[in-house]
Amino acid sequence: MTILAIALAYAGFVALCLAMERHHGEVFGTRRIPSRRRVALRLAGWALLAASFPTCIADWGWAFGPIAWCGVLTAAALPIVLLLPYRPRAMAALAPALPILGAIGACL
Amino acid sequence: MKAGFRQSMAWLHTWSGLVVGWLLFAIFLTGTVSYFRPEISLWMRPELQQAAPGTRATEVVIAEMQRRAPAAPSWIILMPSERNPVASAFWRDPTATPRGFRQAQLDPRTGGDLAARATAGGDFFYAFHFQLFGLPIPIARWIVSFCAMVMLVSIVSGIVTHRRIFADFFTFRPRKGQRSWLDGHAALATLALPYHLMITYTGLVTLIALTMPWPILTNFEGNRAAYTAAVFGIDEAVPRAGVATPLTPVTPLVAEAKARWHGGEIGRVLVTNPGDSTATITFQQQDSDRVSVSRRTIIFNGTTGAVIATREPDGPADATRGVMYGLHVGRFGGGVMRALFFLSALMGSAMVATGTILWAVKRRQKSGAGAGTRLVEILNVGAIAGLPAAMAIYLLANRLLPVEMAGRITWEVYCFFIAWAVLLLHPLFRSHRRAWQEQLWLGAVLQVAVPVVNVVATPGSALAATLPAWRWDIAGIDLACLAFAVLLGGCACMVGREAAAPRQRRGAVQSAAAE
Repeated sequence: MTILAIALAYAGFVALCLAMERHHGEVFGTRRIPSRRRVALRLAGWALLAASFPTCIADWGWAFGPIAWCGVLTAAALPIVLLLPYRPRAMAALAPALPILGAIGACL
Repeated sequence: MKAGFRQSMAWLHTWSGLVVGWLLFAIFLTGTVSYFRPEISLWMRPELQQAAPGTRATEVVIAEMQRRAPAAPSWIILMPSERNPVASAFWRDPTATPRGFRQAQLDPRTGGDLAARATAGGDFFYAFHFQLFGLPIPIARWIVSFCAMVMLVSIVSGIVTHRRIFADFFTFRPRKGQRSWLDGHAALATLALPYHLMITYTGLVTLIALTMPWPILTNFEGNRAAYTAAVFGIDEAVPRAGVATPLTPVTPLVAEAKARWHGGEIGRVLVTNPGDSTATITFQQQDSDRVSVSRRTIIFNGTTGAVIATREPDGPADATRGVMYGLHVGRFGGGVMRALFFLSALMGSAMVATGTILWAVKRRQKSGAGAGTRLVEILNVGAIAGLPAAMAIYLLANRLLPVEMAGRITWEVYCFFIAWAVLLLHPLFRSHRRAWQEQLWLGAVLQVAVPVVNVVATPGSALAATLPAWRWDIAGIDLACLAFAVLLGGCACMVGREAAAPRQRRGAVQSAAAE
């Protein structure tokens, strides 16, 4: 479950990252983001970050969950910052892949 | 005010960070590894690794203590837990030298002695983290408190200085010299900001009775013992009545405590006046069950087994202190939670390190290689690259010093400090970049040496034995050393690559100028 929480937060941060012109340019080669896409990315980003919170609560309970969530956000954001300058496309490609893997892992 | 608010904050951030940076890095890194203090201690006592907590530990250990020290005024017993399979008992014995205390490591299944090599284990890093080494304890704690206060100032002034927290949230531009250091420093700070604020503030709170004693002195009229009794639930000793009475069986008391704590485990047992009619038995709950370290406590009459008093530390002040302290030490929530804390703490250490490096890089670009810049650079190498190497030496000394050696505990610690002192001096005699490369490579090699020497010296605790047995608590130390080796080796490569980069590049200029 912790893996799923990190995966969701990772996907959320990537979406928010891609909604920024400079990073959109680094990944897709163009800084111009259609405004609908920008809104969609922002919404998806915040929604995914929000979704990682109940995942932490389900895993840890109300006493520990919120504390764990802070650590989860940090653990999810760090690889993005490290991957972005070196492997921008891999960074973006992992965003849909990780939550799926995380969900499968959580079900097993 | 001549300069603007932001400029003065930038000035404050630059200089406050430098003043305490090196010591702060040591405090941060030793604190980071202290999340795994029991695991490090167990790794350093391979003789104890096969012990197991057992199911009737409380009964076994109390029965054993009745045999060993029937006349002692009190026994304090730290019970085994998931993370530490050994029961540690402490009792007063006037014949014991030098302090009139005896202690024993007991097998919680049999009550027998567990003999292990003498070592300070993870307690050394833990104690260094808040009281350094070799200084009078109050002075050392004042120094650490001061560093934490300056850290808090640095964090707040850093937030003000960093104008583009959200715009640069994901930004890291490598191979651009000063720009890269600034990006890295800011990213490490921003991504774990909640942690940095929490750990610095709660760190101050853990030492607040020392730095701000007035509320205690006022409310308890200067009587610190009364404060301790009220906060920690430890009452003053009652003299023995002289009426021999056997201790009550403990099994029902254990059941009672667990029922009252909804399954919470017993962490500490305190027995006063055992064998006397005035005996009491106190149980305190284990830390790992809740965030707060304020312990739930039950005091039983030691002869009848009746509950004398209970303590539910849920008053607002007590709960606040307990939760803050608990957040700082992170004993709750299990291994994954600790891994998350560990990662954030490591980022904190790296944030401090990149901060002091950034200071030197910036300074050198602006005003060239003055004596001050050179001094900062020399200290940076020994304080940042030297420390992980010295920490590896400490673990290696644990395996390589003879088990029967006299003064073994002290010598392990001396090995650490001798290594660190050498590495603090080494950059004096090398060019700046050389010094970085050599110390980072040395650190990487020493970190790799830890699991390798472990194979040779104590095969039973090496990865080949611990991984198939799923002993992550022990294997984790070896694996962490390998991970640190990769990290240090990677940094060494980066220093090398930067040296090879073309000089025209804006970023490379000032670091190449170091030669």
